[in-house]
Formats: sequence, C-alpha cells, structure tokens
Amino acid sequence: MSRIIGSEFFVLFLCLIAFAAFAPFTPGFVSTGNFENLLTACLPLLVLATGQTMVLITGGIDLSVTAIIGLSSVVGALVMGGEQGWLGGSPMAMPVAVAGMLATGALVGLFNGACIAWLRMPAFMVTLTTTMFFSGLAVWLAKKVVNAESIYHLPPAFLALGAQAWMALALAVFATFVAHVLLARTLLGRWLYAVGHNPRASLISGVPVAGVTVGAYVLSGIFAAMAAILLTARLETGSPNHGKALLLDVIGAAVIGGTSLFGGKGKVLWTVYGVLFLSLISNGLNLLNLSDFLITIIKGVVILVAALLDVWRTRFVRGS
Amino acid sequence: MRPRPLRTRTFLTAMTAVIVMAALTGCGKPDAPGAATQPPAAVGQVKTIGVAFETLQTEFWVAGFDKLKAECAAKGITMLEGVADGDASKQFDQVKNFINRKVDGIIIVPKDGKTVIPMIKAANAANIPVVLYNRPADATDARHTAVAPDNFAITRETVTYLVSLAKKTGRKQKAMILMGDLSDVNAIGRRDGFEAAVKEAGDAVEVVARIPTDWNQEKALAGVQSAMQANPDIGLIFTSSDFMFPSIKSVLSNLGKWKKHNEPGHILLGGFDGDATAYQLMADGYVDATGVQDVYWEAEQAIQVILDAKAGRPAPVRIDDKGFAITQANLKEMESRMWGAVVAKNKK
Repeated sequence: MSRIIGSEFFVLFLCLIAFAAFAPFTPGFVSTGNFENLLTACLPLLVLATGQTMVLITGGIDLSVTAIIGLSSVVGALVMGGEQGWLGGSPMAMPVAVAGMLATGALVGLFNGACIAWLRMPAFMVTLTTTMFFSGLAVWLAKKVVNAESIYHLPPAFLALGAQAWMALALAVFATFVAHVLLARTLLGRWLYAVGHNPRASLISGVPVAGVTVGAYVLSGIFAAMAAILLTARLETGSPNHGKALLLDVIGAAVIGGTSLFGGKGKVLWTVYGVLFLSLISNGLNLLNLSDFLITIIKGVVILVAALLDVWRTRFVRGS
Repeated sequence: MRPRPLRTRTFLTAMTAVIVMAALTGCGKPDAPGAATQPPAAVGQVKTIGVAFETLQTEFWVAGFDKLKAECAAKGITMLEGVADGDASKQFDQVKNFINRKVDGIIIVPKDGKTVIPMIKAANAANIPVVLYNRPADATDARHTAVAPDNFAITRETVTYLVSLAKKTGRKQKAMILMGDLSDVNAIGRRDGFEAAVKEAGDAVEVVARIPTDWNQEKALAGVQSAMQANPDIGLIFTSSDFMFPSIKSVLSNLGKWKKHNEPGHILLGGFDGDATAYQLMADGYVDATGVQDVYWEAEQAIQVILDAKAGRPAPVRIDDKGFAITQANLKEMESRMWGAVVAKNKK
C-alpha cells in the first residue's frame, strides 16, 4: 500500500482509474474527437502549470499568471492585429508579436521576482497585487489603442497555432521538455530545489538564492506568455480576459501531481499527470451533462483532497 | 541467468502510450460499448441541442436558460448544457464537446462577439447549425443565425420617456448611465441608444457620469457612489441592465434619495431587460421605465431556427426581437408581455 501511495506514478494510477470509470458510462468519452478535444483543451493549462511548478519548487507562488496571459495577449495582438496593429500586414508581424509576448511575460516575472527576492516581500502579496495591476493595464492598453477590449484579424500564420492541433501540441511538448531538462539536468534546476528545501542553507552553500528566485518567476512569466500564445491563437482574438478562470486549475494541477506547496519537491512529469487527471475529470463530468456548478464543486473537492493526500502521503512514506 | 524484471516505469510509460495511441487511432469508436452516443437523427428530426451560456449570473440569463430547457423538453429534445463563467476558452471546449457528441444544433450565448467566431467555424465544419442567443457576433462570414434585441431602438424609446419626464420638471437634469461590458454588442447598442435620446433632448439633459461596469454589480455600486459624490444633484439614472438596480438602490437609500415617482426628490430611473426586479420596483413606484426584451420569444425562435435548419429550410442571418419600453404610464396594460412580471408573479 505504501509503495502505491508513495509511488511517483500515483496520480497516473488515478488517471487510469478515472479513465476506466468514465469510459463505460460516458457517451462520447472514448472517441478520437474527444481525445483531440481533451488534448487541445489541456495544452494551455499544461504550459501554465509547468511554469508554476518551477515557482512552487522554490517555495513561492505566482498568482499573476492569468494577468500575464491577458497582458501578453493584448500586447501580441496590438503588434500583429490586422487593422490597427503596429506591424499589421507585415511579414515580421508574427515573430515580433510572439517575441513581444514572451518579453512581456519575462518582464512581469522579473518584476515579481525582484520584489520577492530583493525587497523581501511575500510572494502571495506581490503576485496578487501584480495580478490587479497588469490585468487593469491590459484592459487600459486595449481600450486606449484600439478602443475595444478584443483585438481581431490576427495573421493566419499565428492562427495556425490554434487551428492545427499538432502545432499547439509541439509547442506545449517543447516547453514542457525544456522545463524537465532544466529541472532534472542543470545546475539551475538543482538550485531551484535547494532554495525550496532550505534557502538559508542554500545561501550558506553558495547558491545565489535571490537570482534563483528571480529566475523562477521569470520562467513562470515566460511560460504564462506561451500559454497566452496558445489561447490567443485558439480564440483568434487578443483579449485581456483570456485565461482568467485558470488560476485554481493551474495550482490545483501542480498540487495534484505531487508538487509541494511548501517547496523543495516537484517534477514536470508529475505536473503532466496532474494536468491530465484534472482534464480527464473535467471532460468526463462535462460529457455526463452535469451542471457546470457541480463540476466546479467536484474539482474543488478533488484539489482539496489532493492537497490533503500529499501531506498524508509524505508523512506515511516517511513513517514507513 | 535470471531474466531482468520489467521496470515499472517502462511498463507504465508503455501502457500510457498504448492507451493514447489507441484512442488517437480511433480504436474507441463512437458506437463501441461504453461509448454510447445517440445514433444520428434522421433528416428533419432534432434529437439533441447543445446550449452554451456565457453565464447564469442574472435573472435574464436564468429565465432564458430555463425557457430553452422547457422548450426542448416540450419538443422531446435532449438539451446538453454548458456554462462558461465568462471564460471564452472554456466555452470553446464546451462547444467542441457538443460537436463531438454530434448534436443537431448549438445555441450559444457568447462571451463576446469576436471569440465566438472560431466556435461558429468549428460548428460549420461539422455541418451543425448555430444560433447565437441574444448576443450577435461581430461581422463574419461564418454561417449562423443571431436572435437578438434591437438594443438601440428599445433603449432610445425608454430613455426618450425618461427625458419627457425630465422636461416636465422645468429644470435641466443631470444624468448618469451605467454601461455594460463594451466588448458586448448589447452594451454598445444600449449606450448608443441612450446617447441618441439624450442628444435629442437638447439642453434638457446633461450627461455628467458614464460608469463602465463590465456587467459587474460591485463596479456598478462603486461607480454610482463616486458619481453621486461628485454630482449630488443627479436627477436621471439609466442602467444598461436591470440586474444593477440593487446597486443603485443601495447607494440612493444611503443618501436618502430612494424615492417613489410621486414623492418629492424622486430620481428618474430607467433600465433594460425587464426582469422581475425591475417589475417589482416599477410596481412599487421607484423605477420609471425599463426596456423589455422578450427572452421567452427569443428562446422559442432559437430552437425554431434549428428545427428549420434540420428540415432543410434556410436560416435567416438575424432575427430581431423588437421589444418595447414599459413605463409607469403603460405598466398595467403591458405587464402581461413583460417576462419579469411573469417570473415575479410565479414566485409569489
């Protein structure tokens, strides 16, 4: 029993159980179309949760990811939007816009990290206030420049990221793979874990704790911007409202996967399992035609149980 | 030499890969056991309709949702439901689920007029008729039908009545408008209708506050408070949706300005939707007028469009809900046509 519960594949077991539970009773669950829908729907969440994982490993939290999505989406659309975009119609529109979106995410992450690492402000407070600030900035920017909240007529090359499932999948897999390699194979990855385990001991050991913390938030910002690329392409619109409802799912997926809210523990692969499990639950319950409110309640309970299970699992395995 | 045991990680990875590959190659076909989708409906027969609402935040949307449910039940149609809570991406997932379930029609209340366009295109690709309920899309060549009110005309009629009352006071009235989410074409139409009526009023009315509420009651409350602080002599308030009346009432009550239409110090109040709250406030004498959109008629039309499409009849691009303004002057005569009055009386 302790081997199963303590196994790093525990959530994958849960995914298989969920699949087996839904398959016989849920109309349309086991079909190519549904799996394609499931896959495309969970990709932005996967990218977001991967970025969040790196922050959680350091013992922090980034609540501003949804604001980064909105701001990045607006920035990108303002650059490449067909009618009033700064580079609208130009062949350079898309690459500049994508670079701008990633830079936006990185800059917001840099701001967050700097406040947390160098000004010693609590991560919860910093990222909560930057959520408000950058959400408002995104709306202001859109209304100021184009007098509308949604910006349309994006280049077909950019929209292909949303229309072609394989392109979105390639981007998400690439981002996740890079994060996995970074955490598992690089010095920065080891430092991220060290800071999460014990920042004081890490500092004494020569780890640049402040720089590592800033780096984690910059990475989280970049990953949020990548999620913005996927969402903006999928909905063919730049909008400050994209991804607003994703925050609980992002943190929930990372926690369900096994990343600890207390820092020092987490893996990209675990987050993949967490995203898969949460997406399976949402998809299955949706196909069962349950009311949306009931689905939200169930997801909340699942995330709470996952968090409790994580605490119990850690104690149980240590005791064994 | 003992054979090496199969490593757990390898086994699980392989198993997961097998399941994913099996699904992606279509080994789980829609008609396999445990994947019990309905068989496709015969030509002309509508068995399932997918209904994707942006929100059920207000009485209006709840009334529309319930009416669609009742209409489907009456016609023996199964209704699949989805509520996106303002998340366009979630709404897209819900629409794609409907498409995967091979529904006979999809009714959408979009988050905004632009993000719904890829959803319509996805349904077009699957040859499923799409109806936009109450909120039209932005200009697009994607095939769909919009059943929506003429927000401009109804609002203009309502505010023109308020202006006529303002003129009777003999003094210039300061006015405030609570605007909705301006990514919603309904909000834009109502704002424009208000501005047009006020412009026609000439010097009788001066707009001193335009509150952007984003269809949020807390923002409405804060906006009205600030506006009344800056302009305590505001004499006319129009809200782009009746669901914000409680916020207005809260502020005016605290200021001692919540008066009936026949009491001194009454502030002219107008709204839009015609919900139960507005009806009760009108019956009690606090609200002077509201623009009524026929939510029940719109629901009936939305389903009829799908029935017609299935029967091979061409679907119009737009069906207009003409609506009307209900005022203190015609309340008794028109209340039977006001859906909010029906809801309010059913509650008693």
